[in-house]
Amino acid sequence: MRSVASIVASNGLAILLTVVVLLPTVAVFAYVATSPLDQWLSNIGVWLHNRGGWDFPVFDTELRFAKIGFAIRSVLIAVGVSFLYFWISNWLNQGMARARDPQSPGRQSAVVEAIQPWIFVGPALVLLLLFLLVPAFTTLKLSFQEASGDFSLRNYAFIWDPDALGYLQFRFAMRNSLMWLILVPTLCISLGLLIAVLADSVKWGVVAKTFIFVPMAISFVGAAVIWRNIFAGGGIEAQEAINGLTPSYQIGLLKSLLGHGPDYNEPLYALRFWGNFFLMWILVWVQTGFAMVIFSAALRGVPEDTIEAATIDGANPYQMFFRIKLPQIFSTVLVVWTTLVILVLKVFDIPYALSANDDDKLLLATMMENARNNWSVGGDNVDNLFAAIAIMLMLTVLPNMFFNAWRIRKEQREMGH
Amino acid sequence: MISKTLKHVVLALIVFIWVVPFVALVTTSLRSEVASKTSGFWTAFTPTELGHRFRTHTEEQEFTQLTGNIFDRINTENEAFPVSGEVQSILFKGRVPDPEREGKTKLLRQLIFVGEPMDVRGGEFVFEANGDFVWTFDEATTPKPKGLDVFINQDPVFGTEAYMEVLFENDHVPNALISSFIVTIPATIIPITIAAFAAYAFAWMRFPGRDWLFVIVVSLMVVPTQLAFLPILQGFSNLAAWGSQLNAWITDCELTDTCQLPSKSFASLWVTHTAFGLPLAIYLLRNYIVGLPRELLESARIDGANHLQIFTRLIVPLSVPALASFSIFQFLWVWNDLIVALYIGPADGDDLVFPIRLEKQLGTFKDQLHLLNASAVISMVVPVIVFLSMQRYFIRGLLAGSVKGG
Repeated sequence: MRSVASIVASNGLAILLTVVVLLPTVAVFAYVATSPLDQWLSNIGVWLHNRGGWDFPVFDTELRFAKIGFAIRSVLIAVGVSFLYFWISNWLNQGMARARDPQSPGRQSAVVEAIQPWIFVGPALVLLLLFLLVPAFTTLKLSFQEASGDFSLRNYAFIWDPDALGYLQFRFAMRNSLMWLILVPTLCISLGLLIAVLADSVKWGVVAKTFIFVPMAISFVGAAVIWRNIFAGGGIEAQEAINGLTPSYQIGLLKSLLGHGPDYNEPLYALRFWGNFFLMWILVWVQTGFAMVIFSAALRGVPEDTIEAATIDGANPYQMFFRIKLPQIFSTVLVVWTTLVILVLKVFDIPYALSANDDDKLLLATMMENARNNWSVGGDNVDNLFAAIAIMLMLTVLPNMFFNAWRIRKEQREMGH
Repeated sequence: MISKTLKHVVLALIVFIWVVPFVALVTTSLRSEVASKTSGFWTAFTPTELGHRFRTHTEEQEFTQLTGNIFDRINTENEAFPVSGEVQSILFKGRVPDPEREGKTKLLRQLIFVGEPMDVRGGEFVFEANGDFVWTFDEATTPKPKGLDVFINQDPVFGTEAYMEVLFENDHVPNALISSFIVTIPATIIPITIAAFAAYAFAWMRFPGRDWLFVIVVSLMVVPTQLAFLPILQGFSNLAAWGSQLNAWITDCELTDTCQLPSKSFASLWVTHTAFGLPLAIYLLRNYIVGLPRELLESARIDGANHLQIFTRLIVPLSVPALASFSIFQFLWVWNDLIVALYIGPADGDDLVFPIRLEKQLGTFKDQLHLLNASAVISMVVPVIVFLSMQRYFIRGLLAGSVKGG
């Protein structure tokens, strides 16, 4: 009689193989089998087009509807396959355990119980392994290699060698990262605290908080477009207007308030050095809502008796906040701070959208993109250089990562798990 | 009481600063091209001096005196944003007889004000503030139509022209919308399915290495995604090369030269987003599921339910709040994502997701701010609706310990 362990191993392998072969096949087959849907939908589109008398080319309609068809079936197949995995592997697990050990329900259930957790966590672990863990180490390896695969420190030369590619950019990126790192979390946290305190003490606080909160739903690129209207430079040159000639005005609100004429055409975020602060402000605008919500909840959680005691002792509102409430929510402030620091270190979209090629505004993430697109590197090791910058980015995040891991461990222990 | 007033004032000021950019966005998107690129959005609500060009007449005709109205002439060409207001001046550019040299002409560029006569093609042109103009010649002539640049103190006018244009006259924005949906829906549903199963296992099943696996998973939450891009790309291009060969082997794609499978596709984006979203999802869901009453689970086990049944019949219905809060996170995250789509997503122009399209439009619509802003508004409608309607769950998720950064 075989041991439970060997049954578990062979059943597990069988399930794994079945799933690995079956699911892609089902996906491809379903994809091919449903492809007439696109044609069918584009026919409907053409019918609607002719009926509605739409005034753009019928070809566009066909394409658009075919694409919607593709979208629908892709979504259904992708979601269907992922459900199918759980159902099929569960069914196989039960069925095979029963088939191989029909006489002993105890052993059946032992086999099922041993395999079941891995069916449940398997996809998550495999994905994380393949898409985060292994790539991270591959990147580490790449960063210490030449394009040929030989070991080399050359990719990191931008750190110490003034002649190396990226030496200057790296300095700018580190300088800017440091500024972002100090200013953005500080501003978000102080504004968030201020708003949380103010909003909880006025009647229209909920409305106010919603307004502050909404930017969190918006993409960073969208935020960049939004703030462009405020930070932009002057209107187009008079001669360039489509209508032949139009007066030229300042179209950016802030520059207009600062009293700049239309001839002063540079957007504020493009200013040398100072432009960084306007880019930072956009991130502050997006993220303050996050800090505010967390603090608002934390402040409400401050025990009532400590506040009462302070009131009886005659504390004024400022003492109440700084001496009583703030110390009690300090751990929350710390959590928000780490979250924001990590976010800032990885920030990419805002500087990329508004000042992509400006060395003066580089951050590590945009420096990576610049390296990939714009630097032609001797020996063709641009990928390795890219990897080296990614590792630098990782190093800046690392202290926070350890702090986070420590905090979560502590939290788990306190919860008693 | 001063401090009470101060509270209101400070809060109102902050809210004002937060809201003004939205006002700028929507206002600019509702203006005409000329207005949006030559005057600030804050001037849209009051009469503002704007430049327009009109032609005196369209068909050549013989006359000694032509009368007309500048506003009528402008508005025949521009239906979406009818111009009204007060004519300020005309910038005359053209040739007039040179007083110093007999029989010669000189190029004149001069601002002419209401009531002043000016010499246009040898006739006398006079206009009023209400737009009426009279063009008189000494004898009947057939002058060519003249284009004139006029400054008008223009009344506020808004229209949805920009939305019509980006939605119907160009396929970039509709394609971006469809692509964003193609990417976002599976990239929200798949990770939540996978994560819910994993979270259940982490919470309530026993298996070797459970606790340290969970800690690893959670600490992956803050790993910068940039770190993974190159190897993932490499992996997908290997997979695509392999798939292309298989395709060539199985189908008759050589005939149509369509064997090549793209390495950057919607599917690669789904999988990558799924993987990147998993740590937060597992963390949130596991912490929620572990707090559900244990007796419930045990009684279900005694009744003979297997894990899949317990999961689908008990855990999922009970975890709806946690599932909802993660779905919103992931939906907003994927919908608004630029960098993953830039590195891993499809590169074909028709398949670009909205943030990439918008980023490109920052360049292409540099001088068509009404279109840029309209496109941005369209990109925000979906996430803002989702966000506002499910705000409660979003906040709950945030409070449950969001440590995921951008």
